Amino acid sequence: MKKEMDVDDHQLSVEDLELKYQTNVNKGMNSTVAGEILLRDGPNELKPPKGTPEYVKFARQLAGGLQCLMWVAAAICLIAFGIQCGQGDLTSADNLYLAIALIAVVVVTGCFGYYQEFKSTNIIASFKNLVPQQATVIRDGDKFQINANQLVVGDLVEIKGGDRVPADIRIISAQGCKVDNSSLTGESEPQTRAPECTHESPLETRNIAFFSTMCLEGTATGIIVNTGDRTIIGRIASLASGVENEKTPIAIEIEHFVDIIAGLAIFFGGTFFVVAMVIGYPFLKAMVFFMAIVVAYVPEGLLATVTVCLSLTAKRLARKNCVVKNLEAVETLGSTSVICSDKTGTLTQNRMTVSHLWFDNQIHTADTTEDQSGQSFDQSSETWRALCKIVSLCNRAFFKSGQDNMPVPKRIVIGDASETALLKFSEITLGNVMEYRERYKKACEIPFNSTNKFQLSIHELEDPRDPRYLLVMKGAPERILERCATIMIKGQELPLDEQWKEAFQTAYMDLGGLGERVLGFCHLYLDPGQFPRGFSFDTEEMNFPTSGLCFAGLISMIDPPRATVPDAVMKCRTAGIRVIMVTGDHPITAKAIAASVGIISEGSETVEDIAARMRIPVEQVNKWEARACVVNGGQLKDMETEELVEILKMHPEMVFARTSPQQKLIIVESCQKLGAIVAVTGDGVNDSPALKKADIGVAMGIAGSDAAKNAADMILLDDNFASIVTGVEQGRLIFDNLKKSIAYTLTKNIPELTPYLIYITVSVPLPLGCITILFIELCTDIFPSVSLAYEKAESDIMHLKPRNPRRDRLVNEALAVYSYFQIGAIQSFAGFTDYFTAMAQEGWFPLLCVGLRAQWENDHLQDLQDSYGQEWTFGQRLYQEYTCYTVFFISIEMCQISDVLIRKTRRLSVFQQGFFRNKILVIAIVFQLCLGCFLCYCPGMPNIFNFMPIRFQWWLVPLPYGILIFVYDEIRKLGVRRHPGSWWDKELYY
Amino acid sequence: MEMNATSGGAEGQRKIYHQKPENKDEERAQHSEDEQEKCKEKMGKKTLADVIQEMKTFLWNSEKKECMGRTAQSWGLILFFYLILYTFLAGMFSFCMYGLLLALSPYTPTYRDRVSPPGVMIRPYLHGFNIAFSVSEPSTWMPYVNSMHDFLQAYDDNIQEEKNIECPAGQYFVQDGVESEEKKACQFKRSQLQNCSGIEDPMFGYSKGQPCILLKMNRIIGYRPGYGTPVSVNCAIQKGDESALKSVDFYPGNGTFDLMYYPYYGKLTHVNYTSPLVALHFTDVKKNDFVPIQCRLNGEGIVNDVTNDRFLGRITFTLSIRM
Repeated sequence: MKKEMDVDDHQLSVEDLELKYQTNVNKGMNSTVAGEILLRDGPNELKPPKGTPEYVKFARQLAGGLQCLMWVAAAICLIAFGIQCGQGDLTSADNLYLAIALIAVVVVTGCFGYYQEFKSTNIIASFKNLVPQQATVIRDGDKFQINANQLVVGDLVEIKGGDRVPADIRIISAQGCKVDNSSLTGESEPQTRAPECTHESPLETRNIAFFSTMCLEGTATGIIVNTGDRTIIGRIASLASGVENEKTPIAIEIEHFVDIIAGLAIFFGGTFFVVAMVIGYPFLKAMVFFMAIVVAYVPEGLLATVTVCLSLTAKRLARKNCVVKNLEAVETLGSTSVICSDKTGTLTQNRMTVSHLWFDNQIHTADTTEDQSGQSFDQSSETWRALCKIVSLCNRAFFKSGQDNMPVPKRIVIGDASETALLKFSEITLGNVMEYRERYKKACEIPFNSTNKFQLSIHELEDPRDPRYLLVMKGAPERILERCATIMIKGQELPLDEQWKEAFQTAYMDLGGLGERVLGFCHLYLDPGQFPRGFSFDTEEMNFPTSGLCFAGLISMIDPPRATVPDAVMKCRTAGIRVIMVTGDHPITAKAIAASVGIISEGSETVEDIAARMRIPVEQVNKWEARACVVNGGQLKDMETEELVEILKMHPEMVFARTSPQQKLIIVESCQKLGAIVAVTGDGVNDSPALKKADIGVAMGIAGSDAAKNAADMILLDDNFASIVTGVEQGRLIFDNLKKSIAYTLTKNIPELTPYLIYITVSVPLPLGCITILFIELCTDIFPSVSLAYEKAESDIMHLKPRNPRRDRLVNEALAVYSYFQIGAIQSFAGFTDYFTAMAQEGWFPLLCVGLRAQWENDHLQDLQDSYGQEWTFGQRLYQEYTCYTVFFISIEMCQISDVLIRKTRRLSVFQQGFFRNKILVIAIVFQLCLGCFLCYCPGMPNIFNFMPIRFQWWLVPLPYGILIFVYDEIRKLGVRRHPGSWWDKELYY
Repeated sequence: MEMNATSGGAEGQRKIYHQKPENKDEERAQHSEDEQEKCKEKMGKKTLADVIQEMKTFLWNSEKKECMGRTAQSWGLILFFYLILYTFLAGMFSFCMYGLLLALSPYTPTYRDRVSPPGVMIRPYLHGFNIAFSVSEPSTWMPYVNSMHDFLQAYDDNIQEEKNIECPAGQYFVQDGVESEEKKACQFKRSQLQNCSGIEDPMFGYSKGQPCILLKMNRIIGYRPGYGTPVSVNCAIQKGDESALKSVDFYPGNGTFDLMYYPYYGKLTHVNYTSPLVALHFTDVKKNDFVPIQCRLNGEGIVNDVTNDRFLGRITFTLSIRM
């Protein structure tokens, strides 16, 4: 899968190609043959990635670990009910109700999860609306316009500027054809396409144009060598779909913890099943006990809580322009320890911009910010005026009309990237360039070509009295210098001697070293005697001087980093996240951008830098001294995986340049081998396999290609790298808060479980029913546990290292033990205190209750005596039992209110965190109380859901325990804060 | 060559990113540690033997002298901690229970709303409310007869005369005074049940296919049934053919619970209290059939039509008498 492309069509001669594809370079294919091939190969389009069928997705929601347990519990209920029916005992349908309730719970939570997933997949579907594309094809010697998906291998097609290349094409002939390969390779510079084979690699050679890249200018004719999924893009896309989706860290955490819960539930259930059998309960009864324990122990509402918490964060992120496709990915950013970022379009603005100028023997820095908020340079020099004139005049690019009100950087320009950069630059510094050009009427022009490496134009002067012509020229700096005899310094023309040439060389090297594309500019006022007005300039003959010109200056351009990126990179660093640049661009440019955004920090040196500084050969440098390292694709090709891992360990600051999509994939894998959670950001098709492979792929929403968006888990709608930092922060926060939510949710499982244990072993009347448990799990406690997701961070989470996915678990031993055996135990005691109070006040003293179960539940015994000698019918006892359920329920609720308050923080005092700062939590508590009241006091509840109106004082009985929970946890936190690292901290901090 | 560093972009901020050299080793060390773990995990295509070995090490790690991940000292500390915690909790619980029991009166329940209005129960009561026997086979009805005798022992005339006093009929026997004082109980003699007393006919009519069934109202402390008018009993076929039940005799009186037996003062002070009874003598019931009979209490304050509790103020049982 990770092999490089093996295409040799670019090396074949035209004749061989004709033979291979049964075609003709002049007449094209025979249309019948084309039709046959179309049938054989299928249409020329990318097959959409195979999705999982909807019913499978839904079924998956119903078949999780906990859901399976619930199914088993429901089955047991149904069996018990069936057996009861079989025995003709139709008095109680409780088991049937419970089975229905359990199934409803599973189905409803399943639907909820499915709905969440469905909603996020819908976002992706909207990217798929592609307009059918037209292509010009020559068949049987005639030109046709047909749908691009009807093209076949061997077809002769024509492309021109503005077209999207309809398939992989071997160029036969071309006139000034340039394509934009940035989505494929990451290079932002346009690439020339010509018939010659220039490189053995199909990706590098000039005579192949790739499917879906844009043709910027010129025209070309070529033979299609690959269509549909067999094109380079298609292969990358299928490479991406071949990469299996990694499980997100949070999914792993939840699975880990669901396994434990399910295991414990079965263990508890099994143990008490055996105990019940030994004590002498009938088999059926023991099975029902098993079921009840499973229901009591399994946190039914937990998965829904987690889903809601994650989707809340997803919503919060969406407001900050991060759209999350996969809910679980919300947390992944928080645990990310390595970000592999693409350069073009992600870190940079993906548009060439003038960044430096050299004139008057000085390097001036231009403003490269997106919104022109930076400072400008000194524009008072005469030389600048001359240079500016050349820049404005010697330029063929122009603004599309009707954009006068738009800010200059946003206007659309017709022309290539560097001319665009220069045009925008002069428009900003000089003003209306179009008008300026009109004033200096153009007399003749030689456009840029690769043999001359310069561009030249001759203009009349603005002043009609001045009869001279002005010749302006720009091009590769060394070629321009060759043609110059003088240099302009502070408006004076000085002879270009060795000293100035050296100064030029230094400046050129400096700017080149910044990874910038440098152009030289010169001009000459033509002698009016020799070239009077109306002189006919001949561009073929060149009847005008092209040497002995006056050198004006150098201008360098770069695709500048986005303004927010350096800050974001720094924030990532303080958050312990390593940012690695992985780009298809040249090493020098990559390194320069890496340095300017802080991926290579100041003072960090590569091995080569150290060698240069110490003037020793590269081999003698101690590699461990070099913090930074730039690796290019060529080196990477020959590297073993271990070697790469070694390099990644050795140098904390890494830049990978000239990388192919496969290599990006390998880099991501190597990082993952180091145990890192890897985020990949990218926008191009070439990034998509890596995006898929990464633990979280982040695609750019505006610049991003569909393939990248499809492969990603998260999309930055504003293309702002800084949003990733927000994502990291939210991810870390949600991890912390999920911990709190889960701790809150788990706690009440113990007071739900203990009634059964006591009921089975001590035979008291049942203190808490299964339906009531379901109400706690799914009704009253959901909102408070969700509200914990709104809790603010306790500390500056962006100054901590990312969590270690193997050590910092979501649910660790300390959390479970503290929730179960300490807070849970207190809640159980509260419940039993209230239970015995309610029983005693109605006439059943605690000691009488012990061992009462058999008589209590005998539905023929209509005159059971209580502690006072009063006689109770079964129905009266049942209502009393429901009263107990309700009282126990209220006890758990009261303690849970205290619990949700203590869960606000894990280390800080609640007073430090603020009681009322989390408004949602306050509302949740009020809501919980209201719901409790409603369940208790709504008429009709006793017979539907087994809730009874209870006396006011029974609400107050659990209060001391609630206060105990609060005080105890404050003491715990105090100890944890005061004595970090102590026994107390280790055992009680979760 | 000097840089005219005036741009607002990246240049100015670059200095901040310089990291202190100390960080280097830390960063690197972290990686190697991580990798070791990862290696372990990678190798972890566990065989069964490995799992058992792992379990063994978990249970007893002889190297570190750890049992289940803790040393003896660590176990000691944590168990001691839990001992204190649970002792405290148990103490708090006991204290609450103690306080609760202190607050409760041993004579009168705090609340009586769940137990009233009264339920109804019948005797004989063996397994349920299906009284089925065959007149010709004494073994089928003897258990009922024995149950009746056992139940009525406490109502023997001499026992009643010895322990209880005679009260004026037709009015509540209210005994005000100190709550803890022992209360007197009124006589309810077995002979009052006449034909169903088991004195004249020790078989309570079962041998003749005319069974007696005793009906009693559940005791409720302080409850005064009927608010001055005695509660009476009537019986009818619950569903179906009315002719299946031709006649029922009620003893004593017309099948009423006399007021003098109320109120009840609780088993602690009202030691010899015997619940008043109404005997139902089914003298003519359809034989060889299930006859569902419902008997209701009638009186003010009596509830006998709640669907959820079929024994509140009424009772349903079936008579199935084979000849």
